[in-house]
Amino acid sequence: MGDSQYSFSLTTFSPSGKLVQIEHALTAVGSGQTSLGIKAANGVVIATEKKLPSILVDETSVQKIQSLTPNIGVVYSGMGPDFRVLVRKSRKQAQQYYRLYKETIPVTQLVRETAAVMQEFTQSGGVRPFGVSLLIAGYDDNGPQLYQVDPSGSYFSWKASAMGKNVSNAKTFLEKRYTEDMELDDAIHTAILTLKEGYEGQISANNIEIGIIRSDREFKVLSPAEIKDFLEEVE
Amino acid sequence: MSRGTGAGYDRHITIFSPEGRLYQVEYAFKAVKSAGVTSIGVRGKDSVCVVTQKKVPDKLLDHTSVTHLFPITKYIGLLATGLTADARSLVYQARNEAAEFRFKWGYEMPVDVLAKWIADKAQVYTQHAYMRPLGVVAMVLGYDEEKNAQLFKCDPAGHFFGHKATSAGLKEQEAINFLEKKMKDDPQFSYEETVQIAISALQSVLQEDFKATEIEVGVVRKDDRVFRALTTEEIDQHLTAISERD
Repeated sequence: MGDSQYSFSLTTFSPSGKLVQIEHALTAVGSGQTSLGIKAANGVVIATEKKLPSILVDETSVQKIQSLTPNIGVVYSGMGPDFRVLVRKSRKQAQQYYRLYKETIPVTQLVRETAAVMQEFTQSGGVRPFGVSLLIAGYDDNGPQLYQVDPSGSYFSWKASAMGKNVSNAKTFLEKRYTEDMELDDAIHTAILTLKEGYEGQISANNIEIGIIRSDREFKVLSPAEIKDFLEEVE
Repeated sequence: MSRGTGAGYDRHITIFSPEGRLYQVEYAFKAVKSAGVTSIGVRGKDSVCVVTQKKVPDKLLDHTSVTHLFPITKYIGLLATGLTADARSLVYQARNEAAEFRFKWGYEMPVDVLAKWIADKAQVYTQHAYMRPLGVVAMVLGYDEEKNAQLFKCDPAGHFFGHKATSAGLKEQEAINFLEKKMKDDPQFSYEETVQIAISALQSVLQEDFKATEIEVGVVRKDDRVFRALTTEEIDQHLTAISERD
């Protein structure tokens, strides 16, 4: 796209030194559905609201939490279509790593590669930044890990984090509840309670999604039946 | 190279507005509505049906060339609502992709895979400046070996959802309200019911009684997985059945 009329970067510095396109992208994330993640002593949980635009939508056709490799999962807040692009690119990156080294990609490396793609879209010609933030959960030789990646391409490792609508409330809630020695089952309960706190309406097994990974290193998205069991436990 | 400055620039290509919105994409949705037609899709127990208005602008036109129903493969149909020129370009590419898929993998392209492919294309137009979004909402229908009747809707923002029933175009919201009532307790419609609910939904929101030549109806059934458009005689039979029922 080098000689295109639109080969200039769409994300440029404002006179005050800000990159407003990135700030607007964060606004898009901030108005998205709430997602959160908690790193426990023996695993990680990520969870999100799954509000569908109409009852006419077939809820089985929607899955917001995706796995990137067998031991890494991801969830987003913001624009769904943008998320699909990142999932596709990240999975490919993970496969390329595997082809080269015959080992699964470490979580830190996949996070870095994914963040690099997001950064590229803030500096390349003719594209806008991604309108999503990601929570990436994985378990490898370095134990359980939780990362958040933002549209700017910056990323941090978190003990617990939230994003989307109600971030500040959700984060305060997590800060109160979080303990260093938390077990995964406890973290799942906390995740559900945090979602419940900011949820407009009644949460059910069909309008939230939960993904977990334990020391078996198998990332799993819980089925509605499994979520139901956890919901009954918190009540 | 010149470029616009500051305010209003985000109205020309797909970049974020301060509220985190993409105006170009929102305008594409308006373009779909401004085409002036409404479409309906309904998924039954073992069939799928889509209905749209057929407006022939001139008596001298060959009315068979005025259509929004396109076969993508023998088994997958696409109902396009919005700008016809954009629709034909999309259909051409989708046919190519589905044929490539069949050649490469040795089996028919599944409906959800095609829907995702269309949505992924739409996403690119929301992020890259070199192309505008398409002014088309595509309903994709077919019968899946594992997942049974399938109805997907792909929009200019790059969303794609499977639906029990849905609508697109000018009176989309009214139609959705109507359909939400009809589909509330998962009614498991038979083929006849599916077609007739789809047609009567359209009649209800447009407050109009159709002639068989004024609508197009596309169907896929479990027993006959080939996508086809109903003939005017078949449509007429359903219209008669609907008016006798009421």
